[in-house]
Amino acid sequence: MNYPINISDYLEKYKKLTPKNLEHKYCKIALLSSSTIKYIKEILAVKGREIGLEIDTFMGGYNQYSQEIMEEDSKLYKFDPNLVILFIDTRALLGDLFFNFYELNIEERKELLVSKKQELTGLIDILKGKIKAKIVVHNFEIPSNSSLGILENKQELGKTEFIEKTNEWLRDYYKTDSQVFIFDYNCFISNLGKKEIFDYKMYYLADTKLGFDYFPLLVDQYFSYIKPLMSISKKCLVLDLDNTLWGGIVGEDGVEGIKLGPMPEGRPFLEFQKYILSLFNRGVILAINSKNNYNDVLKVFNEHPYMILKEDHFASVQINWNDKISNMKTIAQELNIGLDSFVFFDDDKLNREMIKDSLPEIKVVDLPEDYSLYLKTIEELDDFNTFQLTEEDKKKGKMYADQRRRSDFIKSTQNATEYLKGLQMKVTIEEVNKFNVSRISQLTQKTNQFNMTTRRYLEEDIKNFALNHDFLVFSVTVEDKFGDNGITGAAIIEKCKNHFRVDTFLLSCRVIGRRIEEIMLAYILERAKTEKVKTLLGEFIPTTKNIPAKEFFKENGFKLIKINGNIEIWEFPVETEYKSPEFIEVIKASH
Amino acid sequence: MERLKRLLSKVLGINEESITDDTSSDNVETWDSFNGLLLISELENVFNIKLTIGEVRSMNSVKDIKEILNKYCVNLK
Repeated sequence: MNYPINISDYLEKYKKLTPKNLEHKYCKIALLSSSTIKYIKEILAVKGREIGLEIDTFMGGYNQYSQEIMEEDSKLYKFDPNLVILFIDTRALLGDLFFNFYELNIEERKELLVSKKQELTGLIDILKGKIKAKIVVHNFEIPSNSSLGILENKQELGKTEFIEKTNEWLRDYYKTDSQVFIFDYNCFISNLGKKEIFDYKMYYLADTKLGFDYFPLLVDQYFSYIKPLMSISKKCLVLDLDNTLWGGIVGEDGVEGIKLGPMPEGRPFLEFQKYILSLFNRGVILAINSKNNYNDVLKVFNEHPYMILKEDHFASVQINWNDKISNMKTIAQELNIGLDSFVFFDDDKLNREMIKDSLPEIKVVDLPEDYSLYLKTIEELDDFNTFQLTEEDKKKGKMYADQRRRSDFIKSTQNATEYLKGLQMKVTIEEVNKFNVSRISQLTQKTNQFNMTTRRYLEEDIKNFALNHDFLVFSVTVEDKFGDNGITGAAIIEKCKNHFRVDTFLLSCRVIGRRIEEIMLAYILERAKTEKVKTLLGEFIPTTKNIPAKEFFKENGFKLIKINGNIEIWEFPVETEYKSPEFIEVIKASH
Repeated sequence: MERLKRLLSKVLGINEESITDDTSSDNVETWDSFNGLLLISELENVFNIKLTIGEVRSMNSVKDIKEILNKYCVNLK
């Protein structure tokens, strides 16, 4: 198999790379390997530059990986990488046993498995203890041949099974580890063909276990980790409609005429949509950018039996005759996310080139002409990777789509109160517990606008507050008739002898302006009354971003009593009657 | 010879004009064992041939390469 760009092209490009582009993000990668794997440094640098990254790579010496990891002051640690890749291959793992595996009896093979497991995790754990960087560990190539031939599978803990067990164990051992990620190298080379990628001649000449031609493809795999590491993953998939989500042109062929369904002509589109739906369900935001009559498309959404994606899945719907560039900008504005978080799918080459030229920050996917390859194209996309996926994250696509319907609803109502009443909001207040603790911490880290004190807390800090009886910590979940906004508010209150002190009080921008803050305040006052406390003291620390929170205490009857440095202290007598909006249903959950 | 020169220049980072039959691993610093192998891999790709390990071991100069390519009836033009 030939790939269009050979390593020598990368080397040439690498030499021509201009000095560091200081506007680019900078990333340091260490590659530790048991076999010869040169030129990765150059390929990483060239490919990185194409997507706005400056990448420096430390290539560990040939088979020096254990020393690099064990030695206190090794070059690896001096390099201080953001990402470490550990690539130990099957031949290195087994040594001479690669050939004489069956000289070991079954007991010895079992012992070997235990010792290999210990060896590997021992090494990885040392690495974990020394650096904070993410660690990517290759799993092992499952051998395709055996001297036992067709009897290989009849052996108890045979060579194949041995490697399978090692892989399985690696995967399970690090399943919940947030620092170590297992790269399925066996799957990667199976995809390419194990026979193709192993070049015996090069192996004997230079101990390479992967042919040169495949280095750039391996590097592509590494980018699946580098992108989320450097926060350049994409968030939103923008789709064209005609000949993209279905075959044909709805304006001409009509709802009945478009290709979409279980027959050979329609199935590629059907499955393409199914895959997009699965991306939506992992939190990818969807949008439409299409030249069409809105009513024709609406008919497809409402009437076509095989239209998997519904209008409600889309967070922004630009179906009109405007040019695609301005539509793209409208989508970015509506969703309030950067153009650099967009991936664009359109079958029309002209449209794609136009977007590439005018909005280079958007990733434009070159859809193949053959629509049977649409599914393959989107399956191979590695731009939506994240290192973690909370339940909150998975709902993101839906939350943005719900938000669009809310905006449409606001346009149809007379005034703000009518709108808020019409939302039929339900607020759940929940004291800190193991389910909301990480989200509360995340909110203190991320919330800038409606945040009275902008104090940032780690998950550990929140756990400590939770254990301390002098603190009241709670989260707020907001639901309305358009959907669940998830946990979008939090407060941390210190219970002092004669007063309560509001240490943290915040709301995600998703629910600002919905009078949720009044519900939160009423809840704090209720708790203060129960504990017979006289005064509530609110703290406000002004920043350049928290202007939406500035007037909150004043508008709710607090009095400014003093200013300590940059902290404003506001007072509210607990006995004062306080009315929060009655149209919001409040649920107090307990665990 | 143009295609070969272009390839040599890319892999070894040397000037196309400076390449003659005598150019070899003895007189080009960048022609080390590793770049030598990369050169083989690129030759195989560009000229769509598969070299044997024996041939690779005996290819140390431009003259050697040309002789072997000749054996495979490769058109260097």
